[in-house]
Amino acid sequence: MELRKNNGPLKWCMITLVVVFLAVFLLLPLVYIVITALSKGIDAYISSITDEYAVKAAWLTIRATFWAVLINTIFGIAAAWCLTKFAFKGKKLISTFIDLPVTVSPIIAGLIYVLTFGRQSFLYPILDGWGVQVIFAVPGIILATIFVTFPFISRELIPVLTAQGTDEEEAAALMGAGTFTIFRKVTLPHIKWALLYGVVLCTARAMGEFGAVSVLSGHLRGKTNTLPLYIELLYQGYDFTGAFAASSILVILAVVVLVLRLWIEHRGQKDLDIDK
Amino acid sequence: MKRIRKRKNIIPGFGLSFGITITILSLIVLIPLCSLIVFTARLSFSEFIYTITRPRILSGYWVSLSTALIAALVNAFMGVIMAWVLVRYDFPGKKFIDGIIELPFALPTAVAGISLTHLTTTNGWVGKFFYETFGIRIAYTRLGITIALIFIGIPFVVRSVQPVLEKIDIQYEEAAMILGADRRTTFWKVIFPELLPALISGFTLAFARGIGEYGSVVFIAGNTPYETEIAPLLIMSELQEFDYAAATSIALVMLAIAFIILSVNAVAQSIVSRRVSGLA
Amino acid sequence: MSENTNYVELRHVNKHYGDFHASKDINIRIPKGKLVALLGPSGSGKTTILRMIAGLEHPDSGEILIDGKVVNDVPGSERGIGFVFQSYALFRYMTVYDNIAFGLRVKKTPESEIKERVAELMKLIGCEGLEKRYPSQLSGGQRQRVAFARALAPNPQILLLDEPFAAIDAKVRLELRTWLRDMINRIGITSIFVTHDQDEAIEVADEIIVTNLGRVEQVGTPPELYTNPATRFVVNFIGNSIPVKNYDSFRHFEGKGKDSEAILRPEFISIFKKGENVQYSESAEEGVVEDIIFRGTNLEIRVRFHGNLLSATRSINAPNIQVGEIVKVFIHRLFVIDGENVTMKYNQSLREESVII
Repeated sequence: MELRKNNGPLKWCMITLVVVFLAVFLLLPLVYIVITALSKGIDAYISSITDEYAVKAAWLTIRATFWAVLINTIFGIAAAWCLTKFAFKGKKLISTFIDLPVTVSPIIAGLIYVLTFGRQSFLYPILDGWGVQVIFAVPGIILATIFVTFPFISRELIPVLTAQGTDEEEAAALMGAGTFTIFRKVTLPHIKWALLYGVVLCTARAMGEFGAVSVLSGHLRGKTNTLPLYIELLYQGYDFTGAFAASSILVILAVVVLVLRLWIEHRGQKDLDIDK
Repeated sequence: MKRIRKRKNIIPGFGLSFGITITILSLIVLIPLCSLIVFTARLSFSEFIYTITRPRILSGYWVSLSTALIAALVNAFMGVIMAWVLVRYDFPGKKFIDGIIELPFALPTAVAGISLTHLTTTNGWVGKFFYETFGIRIAYTRLGITIALIFIGIPFVVRSVQPVLEKIDIQYEEAAMILGADRRTTFWKVIFPELLPALISGFTLAFARGIGEYGSVVFIAGNTPYETEIAPLLIMSELQEFDYAAATSIALVMLAIAFIILSVNAVAQSIVSRRVSGLA
Repeated sequence: MSENTNYVELRHVNKHYGDFHASKDINIRIPKGKLVALLGPSGSGKTTILRMIAGLEHPDSGEILIDGKVVNDVPGSERGIGFVFQSYALFRYMTVYDNIAFGLRVKKTPESEIKERVAELMKLIGCEGLEKRYPSQLSGGQRQRVAFARALAPNPQILLLDEPFAAIDAKVRLELRTWLRDMINRIGITSIFVTHDQDEAIEVADEIIVTNLGRVEQVGTPPELYTNPATRFVVNFIGNSIPVKNYDSFRHFEGKGKDSEAILRPEFISIFKKGENVQYSESAEEGVVEDIIFRGTNLEIRVRFHGNLLSATRSINAPNIQVGEIVKVFIHRLFVIDGENVTMKYNQSLREESVII
């Protein structure tokens, strides 16, 4: 390691550059939110975040996030299992489609749902007949949230399962174990940290999605406003303290996500010793 | 019956997992995508061309592309340095820095957007300083858009370069040193080529994300037509006027641009990996 | 049913992977209680055969029989087989105990019986006390033993092993070979193992099935394959082979015309000094020593002989030979290659003197 020990001025220049860059671009905005949120005192802060509409927005965000995480977890496990344990034609095509949602602009994600479920769509009269409204309503928000976080869990699981191979599952199947026994006893221990990590990432992104949800939401205060949309509304109404107070909730959640991420990575690293 | 039996696998659960995968994939991705195609087919070509060549739309593309490109370049440069510092150096607070790099993934874009905007208006902490000292406005200019895009693009390059840098065997560098190369030559001739594929893919991801980004940009941009109006916002305003044809036309061009960028990345990756693996 | 029934049988089995014809009309019969090796270079289709017997792959055509019943449509888990994977495929997140118990638990065996069986197997493999370890905490040899025990736990009728020694370092490998052979003989289970290492197959197996390019080249006991190789491939693959051209110019070997081809083995060649008085010295011919390599227990002598470079072994205790020396070379016999056919040919002088020997 002699070669890589470089304590010259270059090292400290680079470290300083990185620290300044990250402090300005990442920390400053974060700190600023907290300070602005508290600028009118703790009482104003508390009344902002306990505002009826804020609570309703938070509740809707939680609902959308719950569904996105649930659907994407089921999908992620099924897709990862299917793509890594079996050989079949069209695998590459399926994985391309799975990754597609993250490369599409969130606005376009919203747009395609508007085109699918909007008034001009042939689905509209059918769904309307059932009394189901998708766009400018809660189902649309949930769909958009699922879409923008679609590959988050499968993408974490697939590399782990690929690296693990199929030997252990084959061995278990040869001994007569069924699908769920194999999954629970053999596969799940390998992927549990990756799965948890995927769930954390999915949760973070689902809570914060703005663009796609903004297209599909009817922007009805208390009905179809998620927390980020509510923040936008307050900000545009020049209620900066309110906007930053609501933001601070999401900031806290983001920090929790980062801490969880580090913890999962740490635990996962420990398990890697077993996974040799 | 015979065919099905032949494809039988020893590991169970193919039908179940394949069924779930295809069902959810169809509902969430394929059907909406199809409706985009169906809707596109109904557009008249002349209308499509007219919409996307309107000066306001063209300037929107230009604003999105140019700011995203500059932001991605800044992130490529800083990303390599950050990855280098995190992999090669030890210093207090390293773990903390490594931890917060993912912040732009975790922090909702709208929250980042309002915070950056408020900071950089001429009354904000940073904006005031720059305006009074240099006469530079940040918020509501293209500079502001670029800054928002730098923020959201930070993790891409670092996170793709970092693992590659960690894996580079010190023997390569030792070999280069013994052969008489100095540090600079060793970096550019030995290490940098190894990082290049990861750098390119991190860069293109950041670039593609920047073009489509909405939440963090929409507040800081100010949205002045021809000046700071980004392409996703143009789609948004067409949608608010229920002009789905125009919105779809603009979106199609953006999808084409994203597709080109990702294809360029794929081609670049295959050229670089071919050179390294020696396969013709 | 007698002891000699064919326990595992493959009839006209074919298997393709896309365009690749991995198994070409495979016909094999494996008697009960035998330890059989599938030997061949990589890509020869030996693992495919093993995996088809296990039910991990399915043949495109042909029949697989176990104990006289066609099992093509019987899932692998109901064929009564135990399988030891090349990588062992031990469940990495289960202890040794749970690994061995897995097959029994799946079959809903009472926990008390499982405990007994695992203890019995742990004793058999000589790994008592390791029950609570995880696979990552075991040595390569221990992992192999555990994989073996896990495969045996549900009392299978057939044991299949895919390259059982490939993942172990050379020294332990030799020890494990003997161990595995003894263990299988003791249990008396019909076993089939795949290997690309001829020494391993010769040392461990009762019978060897040689595969090449998706075909079965020859089936036989190790001495049979060694003395009576049936095809060009087998003669080259088994033992050390030295290809020679124009052997008809060798003394006491009748000619077959020009471009004749043959295979020699080092043990078919005797080398001695001029004037050294040994048997056959009368019938020997001259050759020039080109190189001498010390092989630890003996010397390898490379000799130019009728334009061919031969290599033979010589005892360290025999009189010293120098590089460049002209020595006497006697060829005892060789394998004549004629197209795909192989025939053994003896030195004619040997026939005449055979009475003396």
